[in-house]
Amino acid sequence: MPIELLDPTGEPTPTGFIAAPRLSSLDGLRVGLFSNGKVNADKLLRYTAEVFEREAGCNIVVDSGKVNASRIAEPQLLERIANDVDFLITAVGD
Amino acid sequence: MTAKTHTLTDELSAIDWCYEQGWTDGLPVVPPARERVERFLMAAGRPPEEVVARHPATGRECNVQSAAVNAVMAGCLPQYFPTVLAALEGLNEDRYNFHGSTASTGGSAPAIVVSGDIRDEIGMNASVNVFGPGNRANATIGRAIRLIIMNIFQMIPGVSDRSTTGWPGKYACCIAENILNSPWEPLHESLGFPAEVSTATVFAASGFYNVENHYTSDPERLLDTFADAMASLGALTDGQSLVVMSPEHAQIAASGGMSKRDVQAYLFEHASRDPDDMLSNGKWPSGQPSGQSQDGLAEGDRSGDRFHRGRSPEDILLVVAGGEAGGHSAFLPSWSRGRNSIYQTKAIGVCLDC
Repeated sequence: MPIELLDPTGEPTPTGFIAAPRLSSLDGLRVGLFSNGKVNADKLLRYTAEVFEREAGCNIVVDSGKVNASRIAEPQLLERIANDVDFLITAVGD
Repeated sequence: MTAKTHTLTDELSAIDWCYEQGWTDGLPVVPPARERVERFLMAAGRPPEEVVARHPATGRECNVQSAAVNAVMAGCLPQYFPTVLAALEGLNEDRYNFHGSTASTGGSAPAIVVSGDIRDEIGMNASVNVFGPGNRANATIGRAIRLIIMNIFQMIPGVSDRSTTGWPGKYACCIAENILNSPWEPLHESLGFPAEVSTATVFAASGFYNVENHYTSDPERLLDTFADAMASLGALTDGQSLVVMSPEHAQIAASGGMSKRDVQAYLFEHASRDPDDMLSNGKWPSGQPSGQSQDGLAEGDRSGDRFHRGRSPEDILLVVAGGEAGGHSAFLPSWSRGRNSIYQTKAIGVCLDC
């Protein structure tokens, strides 16, 4: 006998999360670094940032991270950073 | 009900189809047929669209109906569903830190402790093999929470759930308090709930330590055994503790007149180490106490030169459960190495704040 199942995944992910437009060029852009706040994330960010500085002349204008590694990043902090950078690089240490 | 639906040819093929969708924890699920879900909604007596929990990072929401679908899949009976909802409400409290505790390499399980008369009303096991298999309510209430975490909140092992090892409690970890063999008041009364109310307490547990002592009848020597496990280098942080004391151990602990509060105080005092142990073993790589705490390490966290497990006796959640015979108890350390997950307790089937 056919059976009708209800989907267990609930409602679709809420809107409001919109992907940023792709960058056409990296040349001279302002870069933010954002660590999850755990060991070695800062090193990974620094090594990565050096590549962007060297290869594309990017400028590191923000070097920041989560206040609490075990919680989500503060939305206000992310909004503030978004106004200051053209793109953001994150790293997760543990 | 307005949920998205899928039509399958029969129940057996539906089980395999649920596997193919990634909707299981690795074990077969009960196909969530509409009529089964409706029975759960009747048992809950709450609007299907009522939001019970929300993921703080993605914004995904779990309403009563979605929770019911997953509870059906876990194998619950309708009468278990209010307990599932209460546990879910506990997870949703900010101080429990649902996101961190389910995403972390630390790999926690929501350990659920049920206290009050509902234990008997729905046939939970509080006795022999309390953490083990064999009881439908214990197994499926815990499993329902895991399926909700995976299916609704998309905390997928290897993707968004980054547990380094995980542990078997992540399938299901739900027990009832053995109040019939406890020398102390029920947990929910200790926590300030009315005697006639039943509660579900959720604790983000990162594992399970067997605390064995068969031969002492001295309360302090017995509690020293617990404290030693709680202060082992692998476990010691200033996070909270869940101590599940077997009836035999609890009777010994209480034999000298110790109250539950006295036991908590004794364990807090003795579950401690010299900070140099932490430094020399790299537990504090920066040379400072490392607790990933939101509020740093508060005054009073140390007594003299000792570093304690937790910050106060109240950080030790003490529960009596397990079989009447045997010198075995359990210590479950908090997933959080600091204050990033604090256990939460919710009334089952009633709203005390409404």
